[in-house]
Amino acid sequence: MPCDRKPMRYGHSEGHTEVCFDESGKFLVTGGNDGDVRIWDGLDDDDPKFITVGEKVYSLALKNGKLVTASSNNTVQIHTFPDGEPDGILTRFTTNATHVAFNGSGSRVAAGSSDFMVKVVEVSDSSQQKTLRGHEAPVLSVTFDPKDDFLASASCDGSVVVWNIEEQSQLIRWPLLQKTNDVSNAPSLCRLAWQPAAAEFLAVPVETKVHLYERGSWNHVSTLSDDLLTQLVNVVVWSPCGRFLAAGGVGGSLTVWDVSSKLCVERQKHEKGFTVCGLAWSPSGSQLAYTDTEGCLGLLDGLGSSGSSSAAKDFDDLFDDDDDRPMDEGLSDGHSPGKKPHEDDEDEDDFHVPATGRARNRGAILDDENSLDAGSVTLSRDKYDVADGGAVLPAAAAPAPPLRPAYEGPLPTAPQKAFQPGSTPAHLTHRFMMWNSVGIIRGYNDEEDNAVDVEFHDTAVHHAMHLTNSLGHTMADLSQEAVLLACPGTDELASKLQCLHFSSWDTNKEWMVDLPPGEDVRALCLGRRWAAVATSALMLRLFSIGGVQREMFSLPGNVVSMVTHGEQLLIVYHRAPGFDGDQALGVQLLQVGRRPKQLIHGEPLPLSPRTHLAWLGFSAEGTPCYVDSDGVVRMLNRSLGNTWTPVCNTRETCKSKSDHYWVVGIHENPQQLRCIPCKGSRYPPTLPRPAVAILPFKLPLCQTSTEKGLMEEQYWRSVLFHNHFSFLSSSGYEVDEEQQTRSQKEQQELLMKMFALSCKLEREFRCVELAELMTQNVVTLAVRYAARSRRMALAQRLSELALEKANQMQEEEPEEEEEEPESSAGDTCHMKGDAPFTRDTQVLGSGKPSSSPAHRATSILDNMASGRKSSPLAGSVGKPNKGPVLKPLAPRPKTKPRGGLTRFTAFRPKTGFQLWLEENRKSISADQPDLEETDVIKEAMGRFRTLTAEERLVRNDEQQTKSPTAVQAVPLLFKSNRLKLFAAHWRNRPRPQLYS
Amino acid sequence: MDPSEVEFLAEKEMVKIIPNFSLDKIYLIGGDLGPFNPGLPVDVPVWLALNLKQRQKCRIVPPAWMDVEKLEEMRELERKEDTFSPVPSPYYMELTKVLLNHASDNIPKADEIRTLVKDIWDTRIAKLRLSADSFISQLEAHAKLDNLTLMEINTIRAFLLDSLNCMYKLRSNLQPGSSKKQFTDY
Repeated sequence: MPCDRKPMRYGHSEGHTEVCFDESGKFLVTGGNDGDVRIWDGLDDDDPKFITVGEKVYSLALKNGKLVTASSNNTVQIHTFPDGEPDGILTRFTTNATHVAFNGSGSRVAAGSSDFMVKVVEVSDSSQQKTLRGHEAPVLSVTFDPKDDFLASASCDGSVVVWNIEEQSQLIRWPLLQKTNDVSNAPSLCRLAWQPAAAEFLAVPVETKVHLYERGSWNHVSTLSDDLLTQLVNVVVWSPCGRFLAAGGVGGSLTVWDVSSKLCVERQKHEKGFTVCGLAWSPSGSQLAYTDTEGCLGLLDGLGSSGSSSAAKDFDDLFDDDDDRPMDEGLSDGHSPGKKPHEDDEDEDDFHVPATGRARNRGAILDDENSLDAGSVTLSRDKYDVADGGAVLPAAAAPAPPLRPAYEGPLPTAPQKAFQPGSTPAHLTHRFMMWNSVGIIRGYNDEEDNAVDVEFHDTAVHHAMHLTNSLGHTMADLSQEAVLLACPGTDELASKLQCLHFSSWDTNKEWMVDLPPGEDVRALCLGRRWAAVATSALMLRLFSIGGVQREMFSLPGNVVSMVTHGEQLLIVYHRAPGFDGDQALGVQLLQVGRRPKQLIHGEPLPLSPRTHLAWLGFSAEGTPCYVDSDGVVRMLNRSLGNTWTPVCNTRETCKSKSDHYWVVGIHENPQQLRCIPCKGSRYPPTLPRPAVAILPFKLPLCQTSTEKGLMEEQYWRSVLFHNHFSFLSSSGYEVDEEQQTRSQKEQQELLMKMFALSCKLEREFRCVELAELMTQNVVTLAVRYAARSRRMALAQRLSELALEKANQMQEEEPEEEEEEPESSAGDTCHMKGDAPFTRDTQVLGSGKPSSSPAHRATSILDNMASGRKSSPLAGSVGKPNKGPVLKPLAPRPKTKPRGGLTRFTAFRPKTGFQLWLEENRKSISADQPDLEETDVIKEAMGRFRTLTAEERLVRNDEQQTKSPTAVQAVPLLFKSNRLKLFAAHWRNRPRPQLYS
Repeated sequence: MDPSEVEFLAEKEMVKIIPNFSLDKIYLIGGDLGPFNPGLPVDVPVWLALNLKQRQKCRIVPPAWMDVEKLEEMRELERKEDTFSPVPSPYYMELTKVLLNHASDNIPKADEIRTLVKDIWDTRIAKLRLSADSFISQLEAHAKLDNLTLMEINTIRAFLLDSLNCMYKLRSNLQPGSSKKQFTDY
C-alpha cells in the first residue's frame, strides 16, 4: 500500500498522547500530558485551537459534537466541539479514568478507570450509569460492540473481558496479558478494537500479534502477525470500512493488515522509533493519524480508501501476478483437496526463486536505513499466511479443508540492493555519491537544484566541478583520471553511462554510452585507465577510459558492489538467497589489464551473522577489504590462501549504540582505517562537512589485555599488514624496500620480546615455537638469550633450529638462482630482454636502483616497448603519479624485482656455521681436494653437526663479535659464482641492530 | 606585553587542518609536522594553518570548544560564578579572533561564536575590573586570581600597575612622615 509518511510534528509535552478525527475528517484532535486538547485543521496547521481540560488528558473520544475526555481530576468531562465549551461532568471515579470510548451511535460512553471499574454512561442523562465490576487491577482499555450488546475491556490483571452490558455480567474472560499493578507499568496499553459495521471480530493486541475473536462464538479465529514486528503492539484500530486493521506498537512500528487475506499491506516505522500510543483512521479511511509517548503527532496519508474496489485493486497491483494466484486459489478452490499438491508445488517454486521485483517494491516502501534487511522474510511468510488465510476464513462458512502444515524452517532474506561503496542512500536529497581517496562527489536533488558537485581532496589533481544533473545520475565513481556517472533507465530513456575524462589530453573531455534497452547500470567503478559497469542483465562491461568498449562477461549473480584498484577488479554479487537475515554473497577478484586472470573464483564472502555488506574497497596498497553492517572490517590475507581476516570492529569504539563509523578508506602503511564518525546514524550528513577520523586496527585475538596476547596481536597484525609487499613485488609493482625491512625488523623484535616473555614464564616449548617463526639471525640472538638465562636445553634446541634454518637458506639460494631465468622467461618479451641488464644495475646501483641513470634509460625503453606491444591502455606513458598513495598503481617500469634480490636486501649477519666454514674450509679442501663447491659445504655441514652444542654456541657468539671482520672474510668465503651476488649485497647490507 | 605579542604566542597552538595537497613530513626547529595527505586531518600550529588557508591549501577544522552549545554553557557558567571559571583554551580570545577573521567559511555559525566569545570576554573583564576595584578600595596587599589568560592579564596590567604606582605616590605624600621628608628635601 503506497502511502506517504508525513513528518512528525510537536503536539504536546512528553507523555501519553491520544488522537482522533472528527466525523468530517477535517480536524485532528489530540490530547496530551499538558492537559490541552488541540484541534488541528490538518497536520500542517501551525496554530491549532486548544481547549484546556485539566492537568493531564488520559484519554479522549469525539462524536456528535461532543468531546469526552478523561482528565487528571478523576472525572470524565464533556466539552462541546469545536467550540470547547464545558458541557458538564459525565462521571467520576475514585481515581483517574484511563480510557473512554463512544458506542457506535454516540449515545453512550464507556470509561475504564484505575479503580478497577468500568462505567457505561448515557451521554444525554449522566445519571443512567451501569457499573461493570470484576477486574482486579486498573482497566487498560474499553471498547463497545458496534451492535451495542457487549463491551470488551482489558485490564492490568492480565485479562480481557467481554461484558454483557444489560446484565452487567462477564460473558467471557481470556487471560492473555501480562499482569502489572498499574497502567503506567503495563508493557502494552492493549487498546482493544471491535470491527465496525459487521461487528464480526474483536481485535486484541497480544504481545507482538493481534488476535481476532469472533463475536458470538468468542472463538479465537485468527492471528495477525508480521515478522518485522518484534515489539509489543500497543494499540489497534479498524479502518472505517472494517477491512483493514492498523496496529501501533512499542518501538514505533505501524502495521496495517488486510483482515480478509491476513496480509500485512503496509508497514511503517515511526521516524524516531518512539512508542506509538494513539492511533486513528480518518473517516474516509485514507489517512491514519498516530501519536507517540513523546507527544508528537504524525500522519500516514494516501492509504487505500475504505472498502472501495479501486483500493482493493491497488493492493492487488502491488504484488506480482504469481502472488495473487495462490491467494485466489486458496479462496476459490480451497475446499478441493485435489488442488492442494499443485498449489504446494507452486509455492515451493516461489520459495526457491524469490521474486526480486516484489522484494524491491517492499524495500522501497520501507525507506528507513535498515531497509536492506527488510522484506522477503515476511514476503514468504505472507505467502504461507495467504494459504492459511484462504483456508481459515471461509472455514467459518464451509467445512474445514485439510490445513497445510505451516512452514517453520529458515526463511529467505531480501537480497541486499546494489550500492556504490562510499555513498549514502539514494533517497536522501543531499547525499554523498562517492567518497574515496581521490575526492568527494555530492549529489543534490531538491526543488531548487538537481546537481552533482565533484571535489578533489588534492586540488592538484583537478579543480572542483559543479555539474547539473539533468539525466538524474544516481551512481558515481571518481579516480585520478575521470569521473564516471550513471543513471538508471526510465520508460523512454535508456540507462546512461557518462564519463568526464578530465585528464584526457585532447579537447573532448566527455563521453556517454547508452546501455541496451532494459539493461540498467547497477554498479560502476573506475580502474586505472579503464572502467567497469555491472548491469541488471547480469553483465559486466569493461570500457577503456577513453570510451572504447572492451571485454564483457556474465556475472554469476546480481551485483552488490564493485571496486577496483589499479588493475584489480573486485566484484561482490548474490550467490544465492540468504536465509534468516544472512546474505549469501560471492566474491570474484580479477586482474584486468596486461595479464588478465581471475584470482578469486567466486568464493563465498564471509559476513557476520544477520548483516549485509556496508562497504567494499581496496586498501591504498591494493588489498581487498570490506565492512559489514556490524562494523567488522575484514581484509584479504593473500598469504593464507586468500582468506578473509577481521582486522577491526568499528562498533567497539562507538560511544553509543546508535553511533556508527562510515568507512571511507583503508591504509596498510601506516595502519589507518579512515572513517567518518556518525552520531546517531549510519550515514554522515553532507552539511556540516564531516571530518575524517582515523581508527587503529586490532585483530580480535584472545586475551589481548595480557602482555602475551597484546604482543601476539601486534605480531600478527604486522604480518598481515605487510602481506601487500610480497603481493606488490610479485605483480611487478614498486615496493618501498626500506619500509619492508623496517616492518620485518619490527616483526622480529616482537618475536624476540615474546620469546623473552615465554622464557621468563619458563615456557621453553613455546620459546622454540616462537623461534621457528624467527629468521635465522634472530634465532642466534635467541640462542644467546637462552644461554645467558642458563637454559642450556633450550639453547641447544634453538641452535639446532638455527642450523636447520641456515641449511634451508643455503638450499634456497641455489634454487632461487635457478628460478630466476624461468620467471623472467615466463614474462613478457621486453622484460626478458632487460633482465640481465637490470640485474647488473641492481647490483651496481648500491641498493638504490631508482637513482641510477642507466635505469632511467631502461624505463623509457620499457615504456615504449609496452606501449607498442599492447594497447595504449596497458602502458604507463601517462603522466607520472605524484601521490605516495598511488605508487602501487603504477606498474614498476624499471625492473622486475625478483624474490631472491629483494630478500637479499634484508640484512643477514653471518651464522655460526658460516664462520666455522670460513675457518675450516682449508682443512676440508686439503682433506678432499677433489670436492666440488657444493660438496665442500655438505661436508662442512656434516662436520659442523658433529660439534658439541657448546662449541656451536661459541661460533654463534663469535659471529656477534666478529661481524666487522667478517666483511673482509667475505671474498674468501664466496668464491663460487653462485654466492657472488650475495657477497655484493652483503657489503651493502644494513648494519645489524642488536636487541637489548 | 602587546596584544599582538600575545597573539603571536597564541599562534603556536595546534589546530587541525584538512590539507588539499600532499607533502611528506616537514622538519622544523619547533618539531616535525605532517605528513600531509589530502583529505586527512593533521595537526599544525595556527600560524601555519592560517598561512595555508590564505593560500587556499587547506580547510581548518575548528577546535572542539568552538561550538555554539559549548560556548553557551561556558557563558552561563561564567555569569553564574563570581570567580573566573576555567577557559577552554589559554588563548581562546586570540584563537577565536584569528580563526574567525581568516577562516570563517570553515567554521559553522561563525557569527554566533564571535558574539558568544565576546560575551565571555566581557564578563571576565568586568569581573577583573571589579576585583581590581575591590582590591584597591579595601587596600589589600595581595590578591590571587585563578584561570586568567595571558591576554586578560595583559589588558589590565599596564593600567593597574601604573595606577597603583600613582596611588602609592599620592598616599606617601599624604603621610606626615614622608611629607616631612619631602620638606627636608627642599
